Amino acid sequence: MNFIKLAIKNLMRRKMRTMLTVFGVAIAVAALFSLSSFKDGYEKQLTKELDNMGIHILAVPKGCPYEAASLIIHGGVIPKYLSLADLEQVKTMQGVDLATPMLLQQFYKDETPHIVYGINAADMQKLKSWWKVEGRFFSDDEDHVMVIGKNIAEKKNLQIGSTMPFGPNKEPFTIVGILDRTGGQDDEFHFLPLAAAQRVFDKDGLITTIAIRVKDITKISQVGQTLETIPDVQVVTMSQIMGTILNLVGSAQTLLISVIIVAIIICAVGIINTLLMSVNERIREFGMMKALGASGVDIGKLVLIETLFITISGGILGAATSIIASSLIEGFVRGIIPYAPSGQLISSDPQLILLCLAFSVVIGIICGIYPALRSARLTPIGAIRSSYE
Amino acid sequence: MKDAIVINELAKEYVRGSETIHALQNVNFTIQQGEFVAIVGPSGSGKTTLLNLLGCLDRPSRGTITVNGINVSDLPEGKMVKVRRQNIGFIFQSFFLLPTLTVRENIELPLMFSHRKDGNGKIDSILNTVGLEKRADHLPHQLSGGEMQRVAIGRALINEPKIILADEPTGNLDSATAQRIYDLLDSLHKQGLTLIVVTHNMDLAQMAHRVIKLKDGEIAG
Ligand SMILES: Nc1ncnc2c1ncn2[C@@H]1O[C@H](COP(=O)(O)OP(=O)(O)OP(=O)(O)O)[C@@H](O)[C@H]1O
Ligand SMILES: [Mg+2]
Repeated sequence: MNFIKLAIKNLMRRKMRTMLTVFGVAIAVAALFSLSSFKDGYEKQLTKELDNMGIHILAVPKGCPYEAASLIIHGGVIPKYLSLADLEQVKTMQGVDLATPMLLQQFYKDETPHIVYGINAADMQKLKSWWKVEGRFFSDDEDHVMVIGKNIAEKKNLQIGSTMPFGPNKEPFTIVGILDRTGGQDDEFHFLPLAAAQRVFDKDGLITTIAIRVKDITKISQVGQTLETIPDVQVVTMSQIMGTILNLVGSAQTLLISVIIVAIIICAVGIINTLLMSVNERIREFGMMKALGASGVDIGKLVLIETLFITISGGILGAATSIIASSLIEGFVRGIIPYAPSGQLISSDPQLILLCLAFSVVIGIICGIYPALRSARLTPIGAIRSSYE
Repeated sequence: MKDAIVINELAKEYVRGSETIHALQNVNFTIQQGEFVAIVGPSGSGKTTLLNLLGCLDRPSRGTITVNGINVSDLPEGKMVKVRRQNIGFIFQSFFLLPTLTVRENIELPLMFSHRKDGNGKIDSILNTVGLEKRADHLPHQLSGGEMQRVAIGRALINEPKIILADEPTGNLDSATAQRIYDLLDSLHKQGLTLIVVTHNMDLAQMAHRVIKLKDGEIAG
């Protein structure tokens, strides 16, 4: 006979309650785990997405609000334009390493929005050095050619050499390249030579935004200030975009977090209540054990092992469930949050697993210490009698 | 012979609201090692109260108790535990067995608390003594009252105490079963244990060396 064996036998005596308490802990831990891994993953993915842009500053038409500018990276279309003259001016500004024009357009086909980027392929490849293309990129003077993101190619089953009717006039465009998977938004876009895009969408000489890479990333805000001296231009830096998105998401996130935290607290209180209840109704039995030579520490040890069994198995169950169900939870969260970066939002960090287990252990210890303290001072008869009070 | 238990001017009071119940008053006696003492008296006379005090299960209101030379009257609970473990085996009237443990495990339980191992088949020899070899793997609810009480006696023996205290060990048993318990207790006493038994049963009281009579919380005659 040892404490662990006795603890297990005691738990088996109340199978139903033990199981329900384990589930309670599992639910609390799963909620805690999903919540913190979501918070972690969200910011990580957002930062990654912005880094992946390879762009430090976007020059947008004046009067375009930040919120709209933020959507540019998501393929949002703004109904205002810069001119090629603005581009020339931006290029001459001090601190600008590279400036390349982009025209963003959207058209609907089969009820789904298609996002089109008119770009300068050579410049873009410099900004996005990780881009790899199957087939080739186009040059500026080509027309009726395009490069598409991997997801589109897979969804529409398009190959290099395929031709598709494109744009408002359903002109035939040949796919000359398919972008290797980037894991980001680029997988969803159509890329056209800038001039071709301008022609197809009837936006001659117009551009939506200028993507800018600076020479020295510590001077982003200075460069931004000089750029704003150009009359038509407003500047959005990547850190502003990040801030805007976090703000936008913040309130939804706060609501979600507070709901979950309240749920966790309710769970924790319920668990503590159940554990203490099963201790209280056994004070008489503990008194008897003390009469047989058990000390307060022995009783505490026994109860501690019992509660740790419950809370740790609940913790493991909860963490495991939320890892297995993470894609489900992710889908649910994506539905609530106004802006979700692509990629996996919920990351199962091993440190987080430890944190959640620590949470369950702490609950276990709180519940184990109480009976130890309570029975340590009571005489056996005091304990046996106290159960009637 | 050395003294096993010495009590001096012992008193125990229970306060119930504004009323104070004097459960024990002016109790003095000495029990020597190896003695067999029966405590008798009408219901409510304070027998259980006295036995609990002798067993270090409760604390007196006044007076002193010395167990094997240690004054336990105002020992903190932490130290009382050790005195109980090393000196006393307690048998309750209502057995107090753990329902999920087998006979063997119930008997073994105090060893766990005294952090000892079952050396050279101690449990088996106790199972033998109490006549439960064939019942070792049964659960308490599968046993008769007499068998349960024998488990409780076995459990009281496992830590090899010097003093065995039993509170109406046959109170819940029929007379034939009770006889078996008497014989068992008597044989323990013959092995040199100090035995203090609270009983209503005159047969058992007659086997004792000495009878202490209680009446209204005091020793009567
Ligand atoms: N916890 C308690 N609170 C208040 N009074 C108590 C308590 N325990 C015992 N008493 C009182 O103390 C007196 C002695 O009780 P005790 O249990 O020692 O009697 P007893 O001799 O063992 O009786 P019985 O033969 O019925 O077991 C009784 O009057 C009883 O009512
Ligand atoms: Mg009694």
